[in-house]
Amino acid sequence: MDLKNITAAKLRKMLDGKEISAKEAASEFLAEIKKNDGKVLSYITVTEDEALKNAEAAQKRIDAGNAAPLTGIPLAIKDNLCTDGIKTTCSSKMLSDFVPPYNATAVEKLIAQDYVILGKASMDEFAMGGSTQTSAFAKTKNPYNTECVPGGSSGGSAAAVSAGFCAAALGSDTGGSIRQPSSFCGVTGLKPTYGRVSRYGLVAFASSLDQIGPIARSAEDCGMILNAIAGVDPKDATSKNVPFTDFNEKLGQSVSGMKIAIPKEFYGDAVDDEVKTAVMNAAHEYEKMGASLVDCSISTLKYAVQAYYLISSAEAASNLSRYDGIKYGLRGEGHSFDEMIRDSRNRGFGDEVKRRILLGNYALSSGYYDAYYRKALALKQQIIAEYNAVFEKADVILTPTAPSVAYKIGVQDNDPVKMYTADICTVTVNIAGLPAINTTCGYDKDGMPIGMSLVGKRFDEATIIQAADAFERTFTPVRCTL
Amino acid sequence: MDIATLDHICQLSKLNFNEEEQRSMLAQMTDIIDLMDTIKEYDITYDDTKDHNEIRYDDLRKDVPEPSFPTEKLQQNTSPRDNCYVVPKMME
Repeated sequence: MDLKNITAAKLRKMLDGKEISAKEAASEFLAEIKKNDGKVLSYITVTEDEALKNAEAAQKRIDAGNAAPLTGIPLAIKDNLCTDGIKTTCSSKMLSDFVPPYNATAVEKLIAQDYVILGKASMDEFAMGGSTQTSAFAKTKNPYNTECVPGGSSGGSAAAVSAGFCAAALGSDTGGSIRQPSSFCGVTGLKPTYGRVSRYGLVAFASSLDQIGPIARSAEDCGMILNAIAGVDPKDATSKNVPFTDFNEKLGQSVSGMKIAIPKEFYGDAVDDEVKTAVMNAAHEYEKMGASLVDCSISTLKYAVQAYYLISSAEAASNLSRYDGIKYGLRGEGHSFDEMIRDSRNRGFGDEVKRRILLGNYALSSGYYDAYYRKALALKQQIIAEYNAVFEKADVILTPTAPSVAYKIGVQDNDPVKMYTADICTVTVNIAGLPAINTTCGYDKDGMPIGMSLVGKRFDEATIIQAADAFERTFTPVRCTL
Repeated sequence: MDIATLDHICQLSKLNFNEEEQRSMLAQMTDIIDLMDTIKEYDITYDDTKDHNEIRYDDLRKDVPEPSFPTEKLQQNTSPRDNCYVVPKMME
């Protein structure tokens, strides 16, 4: 049975209807991984034994008639989410052998539903990058064209979903790391509101921006997974107790009357014409469905990349100071503690991680703090104020997810500035703590997917899922072939 | 960015570079700082009182001791001795 293009919602029905067993579903995906992942390199670790064990437990629950929505659904987990007893490397030599002693809360919630873990997906090292080419172990390729990057940092998760190596996946998003690879790989990815999903057990990059979310083949699947992982957690003081019933409660409802804001700055010269055209065609499709388009402005976009890199790098410099080679992680050599710690970090971290640490410590250091870090925090306040103003006259905001489609591997390798400025379309959402979903809205002349982002009000994931789903119902995706 | 600043930041970051790496890193960091410098054009001041600090003390869990993970599980990623982390003998 070919499960490559099946949605998790459809697989749920097949499992409940006994058209397929949990073990058959897991085995099908494992066989596909064995057959084709050598071309894509989406996984760092494949957990075949765990998957089959999970499938057995899931089947018992299905047979007993008390399956949860994700019981028996085979998922990939980004390799920065702690999994008890399963290697969690963050794609870094620093953590090449690290086995966490506990599960991330999001993973624990999936286990409570008896999901099936297929393995740990590759990513940019410590989630720093937009191409998955900074991974020390698996430089993932785009399933639509293996000469191109899959995006990042959750490139392994997005590529695995796109290529049919799992039913869906978990990723994390600090500056676009769920939405941009979802755009490049032609799948749907949801970055929830900051505080919606516990970050406990997510290896920290930038704690005020990081958020865990789903990557799947439909908006409905994203809602289904978010239902499972959302909620306040005593182990994460930044998680919020905002009640929800079902993020898919508005699925199928008309978008007639919905106000969709189009911020002009997101459609400037930095964005490729083919991308702008595809996103604006989608906007007009919404108009045909009865929604209205509202012009608006996010004038701070010009400085958003700078604010994002200053805040995220400052937090990364602090968070990554724990890697000293003493309690876990790569142990270096030296004749003093200082030498040993420096050697551990020199050998353990890749170039991009080192650049971010240097930038963060520069921005936080005496004499530069006010000019860079506090200025970035001021911009954060301004960006939040601008988004609040837009949401006074609109329900959702529509933007391109990335300025271009997936580019060729190697093109941005030695140009960090080019790599950073490519994050222009996604970073403000993290800075403002808003939810956003990427879904495919077209293909370029070479058949590479183009994604659009629907940004919502804080804790209003249900409306962006509704809007993304409404578009998906009118759109025929072209799935990749390997 | 100049060499002296890079050396200082490397000291803060606990990182070392050899001469060739240092040259390359200096060029890249200079480009990155040039990009960051454009933020100075924007005339705005951070207002601590307006920051949306949403973590209230009553949101935090009660500060009561609870059973922790078994020591051997916490030390599974190293080579401990007598429940202690082992570091090389060294004199500073």
